[in-house]
Amino acid sequence: MATVSQSSKLGNALWPALAWIIALVFFFPIFWLVFTSFKTDADAVKPEFLFFFTPTLENYTNMTQNYDYWRFATNSVITSSFATLFALVVGVPAAYAMAFNPSRHTKDILMWMLSTKMLPAAAVLYPMTFLTKNMLGIYDTHFLVILVLCLINLPIVVWMLFTYFKEIPKEIIEAGKMDGVSTWGEIKDILIPLAWGGIASTALLTFIFCWNEAYWTVRLTTIDAATLSTLIEGNRAPEGLFFGRLAAVSTAAVAPIVILGWFCQKQLVAGLTFGAVK
Amino acid sequence: MSNRTLPRILQTPAVILLLIWMLVPLSMTLYFSFIRYVLNSSIRPEWMSPSLSNWRGFGNYKYVLDAKDFWFAIQNSVFIVASILVLTVVLGLGIAVLINKSFPGRGIVRVLLISPFFVMPAVNAVLWINMILDPVLGLQGIAVGSINDMIDGLRDFPVLGAFFNLWPTFEPISFRATQTSAYAVIMMVAWQWTPFAVLIFMTSLQSEDESQKEAATLDGASPWSQFINLTVPHLARPIAIVVMIQSIFHLSLYAEIEIVSRGSGNKNLPYLIGEFTNNNIGAASATGIFAVILANIVAIFLLRMVGKSLMD
Repeated sequence: MATVSQSSKLGNALWPALAWIIALVFFFPIFWLVFTSFKTDADAVKPEFLFFFTPTLENYTNMTQNYDYWRFATNSVITSSFATLFALVVGVPAAYAMAFNPSRHTKDILMWMLSTKMLPAAAVLYPMTFLTKNMLGIYDTHFLVILVLCLINLPIVVWMLFTYFKEIPKEIIEAGKMDGVSTWGEIKDILIPLAWGGIASTALLTFIFCWNEAYWTVRLTTIDAATLSTLIEGNRAPEGLFFGRLAAVSTAAVAPIVILGWFCQKQLVAGLTFGAVK
Repeated sequence: MSNRTLPRILQTPAVILLLIWMLVPLSMTLYFSFIRYVLNSSIRPEWMSPSLSNWRGFGNYKYVLDAKDFWFAIQNSVFIVASILVLTVVLGLGIAVLINKSFPGRGIVRVLLISPFFVMPAVNAVLWINMILDPVLGLQGIAVGSINDMIDGLRDFPVLGAFFNLWPTFEPISFRATQTSAYAVIMMVAWQWTPFAVLIFMTSLQSEDESQKEAATLDGASPWSQFINLTVPHLARPIAIVVMIQSIFHLSLYAEIEIVSRGSGNKNLPYLIGEFTNNNIGAASATGIFAVILANIVAIFLLRMVGKSLMD
C-alpha cells in the first residue's frame, strides 16, 4: 500500500505541472506574437535581442500610417455587428417557431440548414463575384459583406437558439397565449427575457465567427469594405523586415476577439456542436 | 390566423434566404461548368462571356480530370484533413483527460489552452510561417543556428571535440516547399483546433459515470484499461462530432494555404479552384462541382454517423 500512495503523491504533483506545461506550450505562439510586437522591426530579427530588448510602443503608434489599421478595424466592427444583428432578427423568430410549434418537417429543415454549411465556398467563388460585380454592383460594399456573413452564420444561429429555446418549458409560452398575448408580444415579453442568456451567447459567438471569417471577406472586397482578415492576408510576405509592425497589427486584430472568446468558451461547446454536447 | 400558418411565416425568411444562398450561385456554377468560359482570350473573344452557344458538354470535367494538379489537390485535401483530424483527436483526448481533474490554476490553464481557437486564420498563418517557422529569422532558424554555434564551440575542446567533430551542422527546414508547406499548414491548423477538441471532450467527460470508474479501480483495472474501456466509448459521440465539424471546416481550408503555400505547389481543392478562377471559369466550375460532390460524400457519411444524436 505504501508504494501506491507514494506514487500517487508523485502523480498528484506531476499532473498539474504537466497540464500547466501543455497550456503554456499552446499559448506560447500567442505570447510570442504579443512579445514581438514590442520590438522594433530591426530588433525582432536579431537573435541577441531574442528575450532581452528595449520594449517600444512605436509599432502600435505607427499602426495607422503603416497599415491604415483603424479603417480595416472599423469595417470589421461594422460588418460583424450588423451581420450578427440581422442573423438574430431572422433567426430568433425561426427558432421560436421550430422550438414551440414544431411540425413534422422541422427536423428536416434543421438538418437541411446544417447541410448548407457543408457546401464548399470555393465552389461558388466565381458566380458570387460575377453576381455581385457584374450584375448587382454590390461588390466591395459593407452591405454585401454583412449579407454574406449573416447567411453563412444563419444555420448556426438558428441551431444554437433552437437548443436554448427547447429548454424553456412550453407551458410558459402557452400561458401567454391563454392571456391573449400576440405572437410578437410572446417573443418580446416572454421569450426574449427568458432566453436572454442564450441569445447573448449566440450573439457573442456569431460575432467571433464573423470577425475571423477569411474567405468571403477577402474574395468579395478590395478596399472599401475590406476587413482585418484582408489586411493581414495582404501582408503575407514581409521578407523578414517587418516582424515588429506585423506582430503589432496582428495582435491588434486578434486581441479583442481572443478576450471575448474567454467569456464564451462554455457556450462555444453547445454552439459548435449544435447542442449535441452540453 | 390558424395555429399552423404563423410558425410557418416566422421561419419563412430564414428558409428563403438560405434557399437563395444555396441555389442561385450553385446553379450558376453548374451552368458555367458546361460551357467554354474564360476571362481573357485574344483568339476566341466569344468565350469571354457566358453563353449557351459556347456549350462544351462534359469537356470541362474531362479537362479537369486529365489535369495532374486535380488529383494532387484531391490527395492533398484528404491528406491535410486526415492528418489534422488524427492529431487533434489524439492530442485532444490526452489533454482533456489530463486537465479534467481539479488542480490549482485550472481555470487559467483552460483559458490559456482555448485561446488559439479564437485567433483569426490569417494571423495564425502569418505568425507561424514567419515568426516561428522561418528558417533564418524565425524561432526555428534561431534555434537551429544556436545549436550549431554550440556544437562549433564544443569542437575546440580536447577530448570531447573529437566526438563533436563527428556531428553534422544542422540545416533548418524551409516550410515553403511543396511537401513541407503542407506540414506547416497541418501544424498550425492542428494548433488552432486541438483546443476545440479539448473543450468538447472535457465538457463530455464531466458527465462520465464516476462510480463505474471507482468500481473498475476496485476491480484492479489499470488507468490505461479504464481509459480504453470506459472513457473512450463514453466519448464516441463527441469524437464523431469533432470529426464532423472539423471535416466541414478543413475541406474548405483556404487562408492558411494561400499565405503559407502560395507558389510552392502545395494546393488543396479550394486553392485549385481559386487558381482556375483567374482565367478558366469553365474548369473552375467543374472543379467546384467535384468539390461539392466530395463534400457531400463526406457529409452523408458523417451525418449518418452523428445526425441521429444531434436530434436527441
